[in-house]
Amino acid sequence: MQQHPLVAILTRIGTFVLVMIALSIMIFVLARIVPGDPARMALGPSATSDQVQAVRLQMGLDQPLVVQYLDYAGKALRGDLGMSLVSQRPVITDLAQTVPATLELVFVSVVFMFVVAVPLGVVMAHYRDRTIDHVGRLLSLTGVIIPSFLFAITLQLVAARFMSGWPIIGRLDHDISWGGGPTGLLLLDGLLAGRLDVTLNALQHLILPAFALSMAGIGQITRITRSAMIENQRKDHVLTLKSFGVPERVIIFKYLLKLSSIAPLTIMGLEFASLIGNAFVIEMVFAWGGFASYGLTSILQKDLNAVTAVVLVAGLFFIIANLIVDILITVIDPRLRRKEAR
Amino acid sequence: MADMKVLDASERGLSASYMMWYRFSRNPAAVIGTLIILSVLFLAAFAPWLTPYPKHVGAVVDFRARHLPPDAAHWFGTDKAGRDIFSRTIFGLRISLLLVVGVLGISVPVGAVLGLMAGYFGGWAEKLISGLTNVMLAMPPLVMALAVSNLLEPNLMNAMIAITLLWWTWHARLIYTVSKSIASEDYIEAARLAGAGPVHILFREILPNCIPVISVKTTLDAAFVILFGATLSFLGFGVKPPIPDLGSMVADGRQFMPDYWWEVLCPGLAVLYVTLGFNLLGDGLRDMFDVES
Repeated sequence: MQQHPLVAILTRIGTFVLVMIALSIMIFVLARIVPGDPARMALGPSATSDQVQAVRLQMGLDQPLVVQYLDYAGKALRGDLGMSLVSQRPVITDLAQTVPATLELVFVSVVFMFVVAVPLGVVMAHYRDRTIDHVGRLLSLTGVIIPSFLFAITLQLVAARFMSGWPIIGRLDHDISWGGGPTGLLLLDGLLAGRLDVTLNALQHLILPAFALSMAGIGQITRITRSAMIENQRKDHVLTLKSFGVPERVIIFKYLLKLSSIAPLTIMGLEFASLIGNAFVIEMVFAWGGFASYGLTSILQKDLNAVTAVVLVAGLFFIIANLIVDILITVIDPRLRRKEAR
Repeated sequence: MADMKVLDASERGLSASYMMWYRFSRNPAAVIGTLIILSVLFLAAFAPWLTPYPKHVGAVVDFRARHLPPDAAHWFGTDKAGRDIFSRTIFGLRISLLLVVGVLGISVPVGAVLGLMAGYFGGWAEKLISGLTNVMLAMPPLVMALAVSNLLEPNLMNAMIAITLLWWTWHARLIYTVSKSIASEDYIEAARLAGAGPVHILFREILPNCIPVISVKTTLDAAFVILFGATLSFLGFGVKPPIPDLGSMVADGRQFMPDYWWEVLCPGLAVLYVTLGFNLLGDGLRDMFDVES
């Protein structure tokens, strides 16, 4: 089965679309079969039954579930995700306001993961069973087993005690006047507007939560990188290079690292779902006010439209991340690109 | 040829299991993990007799003893109501273990049976499992569990249901992969030719060969379930107060940061202790059975 990489990627996109449809059906059905009447919840206990009935009709709750779903899906594709019961605004407006904060946090966390974990894994594989390897293994084990809330709170405690003045909650200091920018990403908007103070202050706020969010991934990716490096060291072509006297440095960075970065990338894609899950905890601890905070509030308030949208967006995050991973792997691995030429 | 004694099955079995035990007991991580888990089981089982203030598990209020730092009388200090955090932490372990038993007690057998069938028969079971896991993959488990448990009613029972609904697919997928590769082995074909029925093949031929994978996965999963449960209750989806539960104890203590740090760190480190134990044990089992995952 040899495929053009473009075909392969299109197939993947097709799969992702199917996954999104399945996911939306699942969450939609779940949100509709729960005990309790959405119309009643929207109006509160003081509404009369006539009012409730009117809202039921207006929300289309008297229609069969299939019709309700198709109606919802059609509107969702046009960007209409319904009204939020809590904020009394369209859900899509709420999302537009909160998603950038989370996007920024997640992006910086992913950067952290690769910057810390891949070099660490390489060094550990090189000095296998030496002190640095043991220290690194302890670190990655800690990353895997520590509850994210415990790590986040510990970071806050340490910052409060030893780094006075370092911000431990929020995205920006209150005394910085900032009206908001076009993208909602503070790092980028600050640069675009020529407000370096905003960018730097936002970066300062970002470091602790991003570190907390990346810890679990650092643990996983360090492990995977290490074992991939060790496994690939034994490959014939690496031994050949060694016997030709190619310097160790060149072998590691030019040949091994590329080969060994495929496994961590794949894991990164798969772990993205739990990354989003952990963002719920991290955003709560650091009062981040992003998409995950919005999700948590809407779940607690049983804001059905918002909950459905949050689940869908979380799924979309995962799918986009995995598409990027797929494309990166195709770029890195020439065996995947050359398949059609053979 | 006289010295080439043919070993009978029981002798071979003995030496194989002895070899496994040898590898396990020489692995410091595995031994430490086992000791940790045994200590947790012991503490949780005998909590009423081992803890200094078993009454503090309930709605006791002792305002003179509020927010006491750790000392000889209160090893982990006291909380906002003057209750002994050490006692509450030990009782909190019970909830964590209950969650593990509940979630894995259902999702492991269900996942194993469906995975076995999908691997051996193929067909719709195969399609169902790969389809479901593909959807589940895209869903942050935490978000799903929050949504499910809250749309029902936020408590531990529903949290457990929510976790279980998600968890069995992973086991099914894993067992499916293993059983599919075993199903193509010659001895399965031989058993079929000898007239063995599908039930016999599934449970007497394939299942025993899946045991190593299942036990490693289950042990490592126990750590995940505990982490997961603690996170859920930290976010406010746990048991109802005043029942002690590690995640919600951390959440309670968070209001009094950074002054009363022990109220956060002690229950939090208890979670870490249990997950460490299960992880070390799981890694040890993996080395012992020599399975990859």
